[in-house]
Amino acid sequence: MKSRLFLLVVVIAGCTAAPPPPAPEPAAPKVARALVPAAASEPAPAPPPPAAPQKAEVPSNVPASPPPVSSTPKAPPATKAAAPAKAEAPAAVATRPAAAPPLDLRSLEQRLKDTGAIGVLTKLSLKNQVDDLVGRFKAFHGGQRPPTLGDLRPAFELMLMKVLSLLQDKDAALARDINASREAIWGVLADHDKFAKYTS
Amino acid sequence: MKTLAAVLAASAATLALAAADPKQKQDLTSVIALNGKPCGEVVSYVVQGDNDFLATCKDKNRYRVYVKDGRVVVDKK
Repeated sequence: MKSRLFLLVVVIAGCTAAPPPPAPEPAAPKVARALVPAAASEPAPAPPPPAAPQKAEVPSNVPASPPPVSSTPKAPPATKAAAPAKAEAPAAVATRPAAAPPLDLRSLEQRLKDTGAIGVLTKLSLKNQVDDLVGRFKAFHGGQRPPTLGDLRPAFELMLMKVLSLLQDKDAALARDINASREAIWGVLADHDKFAKYTS
Repeated sequence: MKTLAAVLAASAATLALAAADPKQKQDLTSVIALNGKPCGEVVSYVVQGDNDFLATCKDKNRYRVYVKDGRVVVDKK
């Protein structure tokens, strides 16, 4: 029962609140990762500075140096070849957004259970539908096709929309938090290991 | 006999009160919508038993909403 409710929160929290649309977000780290090795091996090309929105790893050949305010005026005595990458690294660190707080599914679950914005029958009906959806994810992770992830994502989004529409007027804070956790919840549902961990 | 009459009267009063509960109406409205049934809004309902309601919608549709084996069932009447 607890795990079902927990999954309900997971599914519900599903999906969206992240300010940018879902597609760009996963793509960003890939771009960042792709750019970093490229910069390490080929110092010549100048990658666009704002390309590393999240974690910009400093290339291994760049020594750790104090972040200069401006990289151009006086070259530090370290290796010159890595100068462009070096100049980029501190900027990336400076512009890195604060790490998102860890997804607290337990808290979301409890808040969903406690909220007065949804009636008892509605909560039970919602739980039934979440259980059904989780069952489809179980089938997916068990190797059954269909459903594919492409089939499950719209169902997940629809479930989130239902939850959010039930909450948004009477418990806006919870709706906002669930919406903000959308991608994280999808990440749990779509990943075999995370899903197994949460359903066990 | 008097006690029985008093209990019945109290029960009837409770049911009548419950049938006018706006929160229950909203709950029934949400459940019916969640199950994809046309309704609009529940304007009245009758309590038929424990977790068993007969809801009348604004668009004149009527649904029995009840719990069976842990699942909420919405049947058109």
